[in-house]
Amino acid sequence: MGALFGKQKPKSRVTDHDRAILQLKQQRDKLKVYQKRIQGTLEKDTELARKLLRDGKKDRARLILRKKKYQEQLLSTTDNQLENLEKLTQDLEFAGIEAQVINGLKVGSEALKKANAVFSIDEIERIMDETREGVEKQQEIDEMLSGVLSDQDEEDVLAELDDIIKEQKKETEPSPAVPDEEMDELPDEEMEELPDVPSEEPQESTAAKKERNKQPKEKVAIAAS
Amino acid sequence: MSEIEWPWQYSFPPFFTIQPHAETKARQLKAWHTLVLNYFKANNLSSLDIREAHQSSLFNNSSIDRKLPPEGILLVLEDLQKSGNATPLDKTRNRWLVYWHTLEEWAAIIYSWAQANGFLNTVCTFFELVSGDDTNEQEFHGLDEEVLLRAIQVLETQKKAEVIPIDDSHGVKFF
Repeated sequence: MGALFGKQKPKSRVTDHDRAILQLKQQRDKLKVYQKRIQGTLEKDTELARKLLRDGKKDRARLILRKKKYQEQLLSTTDNQLENLEKLTQDLEFAGIEAQVINGLKVGSEALKKANAVFSIDEIERIMDETREGVEKQQEIDEMLSGVLSDQDEEDVLAELDDIIKEQKKETEPSPAVPDEEMDELPDEEMEELPDVPSEEPQESTAAKKERNKQPKEKVAIAAS
Repeated sequence: MSEIEWPWQYSFPPFFTIQPHAETKARQLKAWHTLVLNYFKANNLSSLDIREAHQSSLFNNSSIDRKLPPEGILLVLEDLQKSGNATPLDKTRNRWLVYWHTLEEWAAIIYSWAQANGFLNTVCTFFELVSGDDTNEQEFHGLDEEVLLRAIQVLETQKKAEVIPIDDSHGVKFF
């Protein structure tokens, strides 16, 4: 019983398609065997013709060669047939693969359809509306919470924020103040002299720079206090 | 026929007489076991008829004028059967199939080839498997179709393949 069952079940796994391919393949095998046989006789015939020529039997040799020629033609014909068969086999196999691909696509598209069916447009609109409402509510809450601070408080906060920003600016980049001071304090004479500096001793120039740097630093300290 | 490297026992006359002592006999059969499989593999043979076996140099060492008698050959074959390397073909146990790979091993070899070369879910003729151009490098190239059929039937029980009878031959579909 079990053996019978086991046999019957997998039977369904072989389709007519498979059988067709198998039939073609078998035909191909037969042609190949046939070709092998002809090739064998061809070699023998060539050998025979040579032998006959050696023995001086020219006529018979010619006859053999004729036969050989004919068989060579047969061989090329079978080659063509073989090609056709293989093409057809491959086409069939490919068609099977195509069918599988199409089947796969079908399954995929159905799954997609099912997945899409869950979300109707109305549903999406509703969800989007709800989201929007949620965001609005959040904003309201924000407003209500920030409303706890008075205007004065807000101003204080802003002022403190400005102070901090100013401090940070001075700490990180004190140099920007330098050019301003220079422009104000330095007379035109010095301005004219400036281009000459590079040609002089470097020590002097650095010393000058140090002095200039001192001035803004003092200013900064005053401003901060 | 290609010659194999004969083991030392082959030139040892008592090797061709089944030994009465159990332990010696077991060792003797084991040596025969290996020798037979090597010989069959080297010559790509698959079947054996006990009635003609004495003609083969396997059981007949003419240089020392010793032959393994038919009863001895039967013992060796029965030993091979125990390990899955031989099957009798008829009830008189005269004709035997000998596999240098067990059928399970052949099945695994063939299936892994089919798997590696994309032959799953396609059909192949037996001719294609044992004589085709795709399997030239494979161990099962030139395998006896009867052995192949049995190996594929093993795959069939594992649901990895199915034999398709076609005309006078067979095809197989791998899954």
